[in-house]
Amino acid sequence: MGLEIENVGVRFGSFEALRSVNLTVDDGAFVTLLGPSGCGKTTLLNVIAGFLKPTSGTVRMDGMDISDTRPEARDTAMCFQSYALFPHLSVRENVAFGPRQKKVPKNEIVQRVSKLLDQMGLDIHAEKLPNALSGGQQQRVALARALAVAPGIVLFDEPLSNLDAKLRDQVRTEIRALQREVGFTAVYVTHDQAEALAMSDEVFLLNKGVVEQSGAPREIYFRPRTSFVADFIGAANLHVGKIKDGAMATPFGPLGVRGADALNKTVCWRPEVVRLGGDLQGAVTASAFQGGHLDLFVSAGDQTVRLQVPGSHEFDVGDEVSFGLDPENVVVLADEGHVDA
Amino acid sequence: MPRYLRIVLLLTPGLGLVVVMMSMVIYRAVAQSFGLYNFGGEDILSLAHWQEMFDNRRYWSALRWSGYIATTSALLSVALAYPLALWLRRPFFGSTILSAMIKAPYFVPGLVAAFLLINVISFHGFVNEFMIWIGLWDKPVRMQNDENGYAIIGLQVWKQLPLAFLLLLGSIQSIPDSVLHAAQDLGAGTLARFRRVVLPLTMKAMQAALVLIFIGAAGDFSFQAIAGPARKNSMATLMTQLQGSNYSDWNGAAVVGVTLMGLSLVGAVALAGFVQLMTKFTENVR
Repeated sequence: MGLEIENVGVRFGSFEALRSVNLTVDDGAFVTLLGPSGCGKTTLLNVIAGFLKPTSGTVRMDGMDISDTRPEARDTAMCFQSYALFPHLSVRENVAFGPRQKKVPKNEIVQRVSKLLDQMGLDIHAEKLPNALSGGQQQRVALARALAVAPGIVLFDEPLSNLDAKLRDQVRTEIRALQREVGFTAVYVTHDQAEALAMSDEVFLLNKGVVEQSGAPREIYFRPRTSFVADFIGAANLHVGKIKDGAMATPFGPLGVRGADALNKTVCWRPEVVRLGGDLQGAVTASAFQGGHLDLFVSAGDQTVRLQVPGSHEFDVGDEVSFGLDPENVVVLADEGHVDA
Repeated sequence: MPRYLRIVLLLTPGLGLVVVMMSMVIYRAVAQSFGLYNFGGEDILSLAHWQEMFDNRRYWSALRWSGYIATTSALLSVALAYPLALWLRRPFFGSTILSAMIKAPYFVPGLVAAFLLINVISFHGFVNEFMIWIGLWDKPVRMQNDENGYAIIGLQVWKQLPLAFLLLLGSIQSIPDSVLHAAQDLGAGTLARFRRVVLPLTMKAMQAALVLIFIGAAGDFSFQAIAGPARKNSMATLMTQLQGSNYSDWNGAAVVGVTLMGLSLVGAVALAGFVQLMTKFTENVR
C-alpha cells in the first residue's frame, strides 16, 4: 500500500511541529523518518496513524484521502516504543485482538495467530502475560500483533529504543527480514542513524518540522545536501571558505573540490574516504584504536578533522600526518553552514 | 526474634486495635441477637429473637429496601463516574475546577445534603414555587418522600459519586495512552476500547467502588429518615425504631444489625463477583 503526505503541517499553539511536509512511500517499501528529538518524526507518524489531525495538508493511502479517517478505520498498525501490549491479555490474546476487532472468522484468527506466533518464536510463550516476557520477546509480540491485522502499512515508533545493543541488532535484522518476506509497507521512526542506514530503502531526514533531505541511505550518507544532514548522519568533516579554481584553502592545505567558484561555501567529507600521504597536513591530537581501523583526530590552525585509517597504522599524539582526498569525495553543501572545530 | 513475631508486634498497635474493636462490636451484636447482654430482662441464649424477626414483615421489607437502595446507588454511582473519569483523565483548561466540583459533595455531611434537597423538592420548596411562578404547574406536586426512593438514590449517588470517581480516575489514569492508542489502531472503537481495555484494567477499582458504596448505602440512616418514604424503613431506621421509641427491643435491633452486616458482606461479594463475571463475559463476546 502506497502512502502520500502532501503539505502536511501540525501546529500546537504557536509551535509548529511540522511545516508543509511532503513525502511519498511506495508500496512494499521500508522508509525511515530520521531526526533528532523534537524534529517532528513521531508527530508525523501520529498523523499517518490518525492519532493526530494535521492542521493543514492531506494524507493519502493508495490515492485515497484519509486525512479525516479515524485511526480504527485506517489500514495501518503501529508498533509502539513502549510496546503498548495489553497487560491483562495473554500473548495469544494480544495477537488475536486486532483480527477479532476486524471481525475475521474465528478459524482464520486461530490459524493466523498460530502462524505468527510460530514465525516469531513465541509459540512457547503463547499463554503467558506480557509482564512475564523479556523486552525482546515483548517487541516481537507487538510486531506479531500489528501484523495479525494484515495492515497495508506498519508504523514503527522507535521500537528498538528500549532494547540493549545486542538485542537491538538482532530484532532489527528480524524486522527487516520479515518485512521482505511478508511485503508490507513500513514507516519506521528512529533517531539512530545507523539503524536508519541499515534498514531502509529510503530515509527521510527531518529537522525542525521539515524534511531536510530524503533519498537512499547511500545517497544521504555520501551526498548530504546540508551541513545538518552531513553532521547528523555519521561523522563528517566540514570546512567553510572560498572555492576558487577547484580548491578551498584550509588550515591543512588546499582541499580539492569539484565545484564552481564561490565566495562562502561549506564543504564536507567523510573520515573514511581519506588516504595517508597527500597535500594536506596536520598534527595528531588524539587517536583511538577501533580494531579494524584507527580514528585519528588531526589539528591544524583552529580546526580539527577526524580521519579513519587502517588499524595497522600507529600514531602518537603530536605526530605530523599528511593525508589526501579525491575531489569527488568532497561534497559542496547547499547551505553556508557552520564548522564545529 | 523470629521475623513473623516482629511483624505481628509491629502491626499490633494499629491493626490490633481495629481487630479488637471490630471483634468486640460484632461479638456483642451477635450475642445480643441470641438473647445475651439483654438490657430489658434476663439473659437467655435463644433463637427466639431471630424467629420473631423472621415473622415480622417490616424486617423483610427493610431488608429488601436497603438492598434495593444500596445496589441501585452503587451501580448508578459507578456508571456515572466512569464517563466523568474518562473525560477528566487528562488535564485540560478548567478540568481542575470540574474535578473539584465533582468531589465537593464528598465533604458535605449527609444530613446537610438531605435537608438541602428537602428545601428544593418539598411541597413549598424551590422547584414547586418556581414551576408555579413560571405558570407550568397550577398547584404544587408531591416529590418529597417518594415511594420509589428516587430522592434517596439521588442523594446517595450525589454523595457517593465522588468516591467512585476518585477510585476510577486513579485507575484510568494509570492506563498508558499508548495502550489505548494500540487498541484504537487495531480497530477498536470507543465502546470496544472501553469494554476490552478500560473495563478489565480498572476492574479492581470498580469492585472497590461498588463495595464501598454498597456498604455505605446499605447502612444509611440520615437520607432515609429525612427524604425516604414515610411507610418504609431501611435496616438502620428499623434498628433505631426497635431499640428506641417505645419498643426498647435491644435484641431485635441486634438481629437487624447482624443482618445488616450480613447484607453488606453478601452484597459486597455479590457485586464484586458480578463485576468479575461481567468482565469475563464482555471479553468473550466479540
